[in-house]
Amino acid sequence: MSILQKNISFDALVVGGGIAGGEAALNLATTGFKVLLVEKELSIGGKMIMLSKVFPTLDCAACITTPKVSEISRHPNITIYTSSEVSNIDKIAENNFEATIIRKPRYVVIEDCTACQLCEQACPVSVPDQYQYNLVGRKAAFIPFSIASPKAAAIDIDNCILCGACEKVCPTNCIDFTQETEEIQISVKTVILATGFKLFDPLLMPRYGYGLFKNVITSMQMERELAPTRPFNTVLRPGDGKVPDKIAYVLCTGSRDASIGNPICSQICCMYSIKQSQLLMGALPMADVTIYYLNIRSFGKGFEEFYQQAKGMGVNFVKGKIGKIRETENGNGNLILRYENINEGIVKEAEHDMVILSVGVLPNQDASNFFKKEELKLDSYKFIYQADSLISPARTSIDGVFVAGTASGPMDIPDSILSAGSASSEAISYLIQK
Amino acid sequence: MEKKKIGVYVCHCGGNISDYVDVEKVRQAIEDEGGVMLAKTTMFACSDSNQKDMVEDIKNNNLNGIVVASCSPKLHLTTFRNVSERADLNKYNYVHANIREQVSWAHSDDKTGATEKAIHIVKAAIAKARLSESLVPNKIMAEKAVAVIGSGVAGMKAAIALSDKDCPVFLIEREFFIGGRVSQWGAMFTTNETGKEVVTRLYNDLVKRSNVTIFTGAEVVSNVGSIGDFKLKVKITPRYVKEKCDQGKLQLAMDACPVVVPDEFNFNITNRKAIYHNFPSEYPQAAVIDMKNCTRCGKCETLCDNIDFSLKEEILDIQVGSVLMATGFDPYTPHDGEFGYNEIGNVVTLPQFKRIIELNDKDLMFKGTKVKNIAYIYCVGSRQPEGGNTYCSRYCCTSAIHASLLVKKKYPSVYNYHFTRGIRTYGKQESLYYDSSAQGDIYLQAYEDALPEVSWNGKKSIVKINDILTGGREMKVEADLVVLVTGMVPRADNSVGTLFKLPKGRDKFFNEIHMKLRPVETFIDGVTIAGACQGPKNIMESANSALSAATKSYSYVSKGELETEPIVAVVDPVLCTWCGACAKACPFDAISMTKDGTKAIALINNSVCKGCGMCLPVCPKDAIDLIAFSNNEIESMIDALAHD
Repeated sequence: MSILQKNISFDALVVGGGIAGGEAALNLATTGFKVLLVEKELSIGGKMIMLSKVFPTLDCAACITTPKVSEISRHPNITIYTSSEVSNIDKIAENNFEATIIRKPRYVVIEDCTACQLCEQACPVSVPDQYQYNLVGRKAAFIPFSIASPKAAAIDIDNCILCGACEKVCPTNCIDFTQETEEIQISVKTVILATGFKLFDPLLMPRYGYGLFKNVITSMQMERELAPTRPFNTVLRPGDGKVPDKIAYVLCTGSRDASIGNPICSQICCMYSIKQSQLLMGALPMADVTIYYLNIRSFGKGFEEFYQQAKGMGVNFVKGKIGKIRETENGNGNLILRYENINEGIVKEAEHDMVILSVGVLPNQDASNFFKKEELKLDSYKFIYQADSLISPARTSIDGVFVAGTASGPMDIPDSILSAGSASSEAISYLIQK
Repeated sequence: MEKKKIGVYVCHCGGNISDYVDVEKVRQAIEDEGGVMLAKTTMFACSDSNQKDMVEDIKNNNLNGIVVASCSPKLHLTTFRNVSERADLNKYNYVHANIREQVSWAHSDDKTGATEKAIHIVKAAIAKARLSESLVPNKIMAEKAVAVIGSGVAGMKAAIALSDKDCPVFLIEREFFIGGRVSQWGAMFTTNETGKEVVTRLYNDLVKRSNVTIFTGAEVVSNVGSIGDFKLKVKITPRYVKEKCDQGKLQLAMDACPVVVPDEFNFNITNRKAIYHNFPSEYPQAAVIDMKNCTRCGKCETLCDNIDFSLKEEILDIQVGSVLMATGFDPYTPHDGEFGYNEIGNVVTLPQFKRIIELNDKDLMFKGTKVKNIAYIYCVGSRQPEGGNTYCSRYCCTSAIHASLLVKKKYPSVYNYHFTRGIRTYGKQESLYYDSSAQGDIYLQAYEDALPEVSWNGKKSIVKINDILTGGREMKVEADLVVLVTGMVPRADNSVGTLFKLPKGRDKFFNEIHMKLRPVETFIDGVTIAGACQGPKNIMESANSALSAATKSYSYVSKGELETEPIVAVVDPVLCTWCGACAKACPFDAISMTKDGTKAIALINNSVCKGCGMCLPVCPKDAIDLIAFSNNEIESMIDALAHD
């Protein structure tokens, strides 16, 4: 059952409200164009808003993302649909696209919600919190995270038991279970795809024991443990709550590995692992941090210096591929890493009490399903194909449709910002010229 | 003055501040300060929800002064000024107190002391807020035109993007041919399009545009003015050869020229005449006479009637609202003896090697010998522990590997040996590394403290390494050609950067405002940076940065009008006796002499003045004050800081 809305028009449709989509939307909006920003999550800000700090400046990610997010959310030329997905985009002619957006109900009237969290306290349901990468739980009536935008509650209807407790405590009566899915047909003149990336799921590599051994976590989980809005207010291992003191990073988990179908380099993992290692040295001064790597790829501005700084702080870099991780037999939750020490040319084992898998960047293939009449080509790694990758990197196989950020391949934040600038420039030119 | 009603917000910054500063204690310590009407703590002052609360507070309580104690004003001064504006409060009534960089991060070892310091800093900010006044930004006209300096891929791409947006562009190229470094390259990763094809495509697009003016042999020699109104003088050096020139006669003239000099286009591996082309189809398609080396023998003139030595240098005046710098990089030149360079005959750099591949069609020949074994030595001029270039040049691993693939395809009998320091083919470029390994290239990796050594055995170069990948075994390769994989360095000639006073980073490339979020803007208002002048980049990355810079430059000029900060220096004409000390101290050339009646006094150019305050302490008469940072305000802040 859904409500149909028709005949809404904008100059540009930006799909994805992460840092690339947000930057592109802002560029278009400040130039005077009307933008619809569609985000499938409950908040804009993408993955960047969830990070701890950023390399190599060590700015706190929340501190530099929130003002940007705030600027986007209150720009008079930007309309934002959260919890919304594009179902299809048809190109009718140049400068003429028709798109259908599905807006899923939040069951909360955003404008009326004061984020008082009374509904959260009243809700009896506990489920893993996806915004804390399942490190802790949340309720079925919940504020996505403290710096979410919009900052308003939402009801997770899949887990909700419809007890009505939240409705009873809500002081503004903003909870509304009668909300329905809306199907919105819009027309736009240009499209920017900023659909981002997916993180590699380490369950696909059983030999690393993720999901089996509790003290093996992903790098994104460690980001959350280190973030200002961290769930435990300190770094600890999930298995027993102990503060770790011998931490290992496994680089290239799910990257540069044809055996799991991803032969390319993810471009960010070396640097974020080095960043985390520096933050860990600060948070846990007595802890040893070892990074197991194949090649350290600190290639951007200030990156090599940042790598040398980590070495100087005492982070231990070991050139070697981890073959297998197993738990110790004495039940202390520690882990044995079996690896080839390349410098010494021998296979070795090392014990650590916490292991972080530096998971790689995989394509988000959602965008390829948007277009039915025209073909949005993907490259051989399933990222959006760049039709003129050398000199017009934002162009796709469809004129008037541009790509920004990691939707076209792995990249870090500055490269995403540049790519968004590039896509918005092309889109503005397209809007003016055609 | 209206009685001040001040709102103070003390930010936790997640924990960045509150882990070391007791923010509630700070709040309590300042809530009874004179003028403070409201004092709150907040988890993230910059978050959207708190900004909304602040707007409500200002409106509901008629606040007319605001203090946020949080991070550096570099990060959020503008954020909270905008909050004031949204609440209809003049934004200059907002005062920022930095208790993160200056307190919590600096004193993480002393929580009591940090809290004490934070209290003083917030009190000082409140003292300033008590004296704050509403100010009106200066409005200036913005010339709707942009000067793009440098016509490599970044400059050309930026010019096209601006032209597309109906913005007139002056594309200014110092060399006589456009295309920059890319025109020197053959097939490029990852599309295998050649540099020449890329340049041709961009040039053909540019010349059909009526709002793009291209100058070659042109140098910006002076700049007066600032954002919205840069007045540039551009020196145009004549080619001494007319553009529409009979090719046959021109060839005769070139053949006749007696001067032979090394050809920089081919990185000195070939020679050229004093009248020359880079290659027959370069852009613009017109030869040039290099007057530095020409002996004025006149032979060419007798053979080709389109040669005209009477052409004169010209100086053009152009006016633009923004300047986009795309001045590129220099390839690193190894010093004599660095891995045998200039001492062993068969050691070349990667750019030279690329020209050698372009110039050899059948066999790969070097100095009359057929090349079989090629040794590539990586990170030459990059990641130097000593020697200044600590950074990674980013493009070289992929570029060298791509060259090794081309070489093997073009001359199947060669063998490639790569002496690396860890390959950095990031992203999709990894596939080239894979292909190169698959075609049989040998990769060796040096220990960081024992780089490869190059020696000469009388016939060939011997490259020796202790190889990590085989557990430290000593390996030697007899090489017919040693290719030093050289990195990118900032342009040696930075005269144009100096003209605009562009700041440089630790790596000596031009510096952006914020590495993460504002990579193409600079601290000089109205000047943006694109391509490799900001730091090493490959072509795709340069194109992205060029388009981003074009978008920013366009945003400065598109509306025809700009607002600048009213926080500028003001001169008291009674006290000033024009000694000139302020003008000397000003880093922005904003101060000049003017007459007040018959008396000479200092004049501040408001659109150039950045309010830095450098002129204040040097004035012997105390005749200069700074708006919003007046002596009165600063003294009240010092009192607050010094008070127990």
